[in-house]
Amino acid sequence: MVDLEKMRTIAKETVSRDDVRYLIGWRQGTYGFRVSPHFMKGPEEAEKLIFSPLCSNNLATYLTLTEKLPVPRGEQPDSRKIAVMVKGCDSRAVVQQLIEKGIERERVFVIGCPCEGVLDLKKVEEKFPGILSPVEVEWSGDKIIFTLPDGVKEVPKGEVLAKKCLSCRYPNPVMSDITLWDEVKSLGDGNYEDVKEMEEKNPQEKWSFWKDKFSSCIRCYSCRNVCPMCYCEDCVLDRLNPQWINRSANISENSAFQLARAFHLAGRCIECGECERVCPVDIPLMALNRKLAKEVREQYEFEPGLDPESKPFQSSYRPNDKEDFIL
Amino acid sequence: MSEQFQPNVVAFLCNWCSYAGADLAGTSRIKYPHNLNVIRVMCSGRVNPLFVINAFQQGADGVLISGCHPGDCHYMEGNFYARRRFSLMNELLEYVGVEPGRFNMSWVSASEGAKWKDVVAGVVEKAKEAGPFDQFRRNKINW
Amino acid sequence: MDSMKLSKDKLNSFVAILAEQKQLYMPQAEGETLKYSPVNAKVQPDLVFSNTAVPAKSVVFPQVETLFRYEVEKTDIKMPAGEEERVLLGVRPCDARAMSIVDNLFSWDVDDPYYLGKREKTIVVGLACQKPGVNCFCSSVGGGPASTEGLDVLLTDLGESFLVKPLTEKGEKLCQAAGEIFEEASSDDLNSAEKLHQEAAALISRSIETGGIPEKLPGLWESGIWKEVSNACLGCGICTFLCPTCHCFDIQDEIEGFEGRRCRMWDSCMFGEYTLHTSGHNPRPTRRERTRNRINHKYNYFVQKFDVIACVGCGRCISSCPVNIDIIEILQQVKEAQ
Ligand code: SF4
Ligand code: SF4
Ligand code: SF4
Ligand code: SF4
Repeated sequence: MVDLEKMRTIAKETVSRDDVRYLIGWRQGTYGFRVSPHFMKGPEEAEKLIFSPLCSNNLATYLTLTEKLPVPRGEQPDSRKIAVMVKGCDSRAVVQQLIEKGIERERVFVIGCPCEGVLDLKKVEEKFPGILSPVEVEWSGDKIIFTLPDGVKEVPKGEVLAKKCLSCRYPNPVMSDITLWDEVKSLGDGNYEDVKEMEEKNPQEKWSFWKDKFSSCIRCYSCRNVCPMCYCEDCVLDRLNPQWINRSANISENSAFQLARAFHLAGRCIECGECERVCPVDIPLMALNRKLAKEVREQYEFEPGLDPESKPFQSSYRPNDKEDFIL
Repeated sequence: MSEQFQPNVVAFLCNWCSYAGADLAGTSRIKYPHNLNVIRVMCSGRVNPLFVINAFQQGADGVLISGCHPGDCHYMEGNFYARRRFSLMNELLEYVGVEPGRFNMSWVSASEGAKWKDVVAGVVEKAKEAGPFDQFRRNKINW
Repeated sequence: MDSMKLSKDKLNSFVAILAEQKQLYMPQAEGETLKYSPVNAKVQPDLVFSNTAVPAKSVVFPQVETLFRYEVEKTDIKMPAGEEERVLLGVRPCDARAMSIVDNLFSWDVDDPYYLGKREKTIVVGLACQKPGVNCFCSSVGGGPASTEGLDVLLTDLGESFLVKPLTEKGEKLCQAAGEIFEEASSDDLNSAEKLHQEAAALISRSIETGGIPEKLPGLWESGIWKEVSNACLGCGICTFLCPTCHCFDIQDEIEGFEGRRCRMWDSCMFGEYTLHTSGHNPRPTRRERTRNRINHKYNYFVQKFDVIACVGCGRCISSCPVNIDIIEILQQVKEAQ
């Protein structure tokens, strides 16, 4: 059961520690159903913290997104920890960053929030359109309770939950320094029915589907920036020499970008669904990620973001990896 | 049309095995289709997935990556990485609608001139069947 | 020219007339996204939509635009073909106002032939808003759901028909060409349109008093608020690409074999490499400086230069930001900051 009091108390204690720089949690957004990441520097800011079905942001992103500026001469780098609140999927992002040595274990303090599933904002805003004043939302068994300006509404989970949550197998943080409340039961069995459906189609059908999606991409790179696993300092998309992918938005460059993005995440994507959530033109990016996740899991029995001691998928091999594709 | 159509196949060959194998086929005067544009790389493990995507963008109708047999890699394990990487790449390409058979990978050792011929013949045949690649080819885009 | 009335069952023929004379652009779904795309005379016009995801700026300032073509190692260049005449149908008043604001920039020190060429040949037929979105705040920045700035013709949905009001010479010509299908508008029609406009204005629920902000911003350069409001920012291109007044571009060469083109494409001040120098130095090293620039450009620099705020209050950056960075909230903090 979500216990906001406990969450705030622990947050206060954590930011008050000498070895913690700041804490990243969630707070109520500026309107309607929006939630925003909350960067907490002192205990007085704990009252704003929330945890609700609206907290979809994967805060692990900020561990790698935050710019590391050169330290002025004569000063020591700030080596204090960053405390971060994580749901199940978010915790896998932290683990995967550790596997890849993107972050150091001593520099993070992980606060685990077992999670009963977050909402798909598009579904919610379609159901309750035009709501301006901030709304409170809670879990209650297999229902979601919305406290709207015109009264309390109950909606079955299945109608408003994000797709990734309906098949989530890791709702409980796989790694944390402290876990805030009791573990919850997982909602899904991680099946790949949607991927299989797409695999059944013939090449023309597949391409006509993807062509439509890829051509609407405006190359805002929000999917890249929000991804906790996309943190290369020198991204091929920004490079001019060599310039593998032109900046032009057209079907050729967009396809190259989409394939490169998805492929770079093969064996690394922890299926938090953030890329698909942020896309302003609703490209089903998870369908690509999940296809690769399925192959990695079924053919190589590998899952990213579970064991900090494991090796990254693409920089390891087994001598007996399957090779039926090779002539 | 498929009678006339001559596909453009880009082949990335590793320096130590497949390139030497192709060379052997040549010096042994083995005949095989001429549709191949060979790019020599030091190891199949050096092939970046972007090479493949870029080849398709720039006009390839088929792509072949060829390296040493597992266990024979000059750098011990380069082809093991390539095997994982491109098996997945193949899955991804097929998933978005690139016809199966356009993207290929093979193991050809320095002594396998005859195998090289069969591989090339097969790859070119498959590319012919699939026809010109135009899904996301660059020069199809109206500038 | 007086206002006229277009009965809704004649909308199809009106659209067909427009499409025959000029290249017609209307909001069309591409994938799940509404954006302005070319349509032909047979299109089934659907004007019931809240604003498009991609603003109408994409028609006069396309995401990618060829400046000229060339052959490698040769010296001649080929200019792109001249612009076709276009009509944009169904443009929201905020998007139209944005075009007239951006005109200032592209005709400032030098006239930009590409932008202005398209602008001159474009006729903008607007549609007054009746159901403003949650984040619309056009009336705070000098516009409104029935604002006419930047429009050549304004349509108002009267239920069974549209009130058609030509606003400029271009607009009058367009309407004359479609002459027969209009009916005369009675004074009742004019009054009910006026009433609808007022009702819509009353439905705008978000607002900010912008007075004083442009004067205050320079003094807040080093203020702590910029770090506060940009902590969560992802540094993506959503808010700027989807902004109808954002007009920054990058120029790149694309070469295929021996053929090349120089083209310009949307760029965003929220990207790190936007200000990255060749030396590796970046004068806007973090999202703090970039967010500060975004707000200052719209509410300070542009005002100093052209005496108008470069924000039309369409609310797109608020609705589409994945981490709820809300420009109204930022402006509120600017006002409150010491
Ligand atoms: S978020 Fe969507 S529109 Fe933006 S670059 Fe990614 S796929 Fe393209
Ligand atoms: S690719 Fe998407 S789902 Fe996978 S880790 Fe990145 S943001 Fe999450
Ligand atoms: S403010 Fe929002 S939309 Fe704009 S760059 Fe930051 S995260 Fe992206
Ligand atoms: S901002 Fe104003 S003009 Fe623009 S869509 Fe909203 S109500 Fe209409």
